[in-house]
Amino acid sequence: MSEAVSGLKLGQIVPEFELETYDPVKDDFGKFRLQDQIAGKRWTALFFYPADFTFV
Amino acid sequence: MGCDIITVSADTKFVHLAWKKSEKELAGVRYPMASDPTGRIGRMFGVYDENTGLNLRGTFIINPEGKLLNSEVNFYNLGRNIDEMMRKFKANIYMTRKANEACPSKWKDDGDKTLVNPGAKMVGKVHEALNS
Repeated sequence: MSEAVSGLKLGQIVPEFELETYDPVKDDFGKFRLQDQIAGKRWTALFFYPADFTFV
Repeated sequence: MGCDIITVSADTKFVHLAWKKSEKELAGVRYPMASDPTGRIGRMFGVYDENTGLNLRGTFIINPEGKLLNSEVNFYNLGRNIDEMMRKFKANIYMTRKANEACPSKWKDDGDKTLVNPGAKMVGKVHEALNS
């Protein structure tokens, strides 16, 4: 069961989340955690895009 | 500047690895490429397309306190302008330092004209404020 969520609102605190990553600098897999960004006092830009191996 | 870019698509981390290694256009990429195959985070930000299983082109800027300050979403066929994303990053960071200033539409970087203490005295006098 899930609510229909249309998206977060500006000014809202983003709920903590975690995503698996490929890190090109380490050339290895890793994890992104929003809580690590906040702990490190860092700004974050999340850049969503449709799919790898496509064009634009 | 203390800011991190993370890209997100529904592809797995294995596909990100393969794409990064094969596509020369990505040679300069240093940021983590995140994987959201179930669409959980895409749905949270409102960019996950249930019909295609893909994410729209959404960029979201989150400040160090975890607050969402900016969102831009384009449909599939319109790429985003990276200069504009950097402008928004810089503007948000600048305004964190200078809480009494606003960055008007022509603002591009630290040193450009801002609106200082926008308030009752500036109402109807923005032209003068920008050109003083």
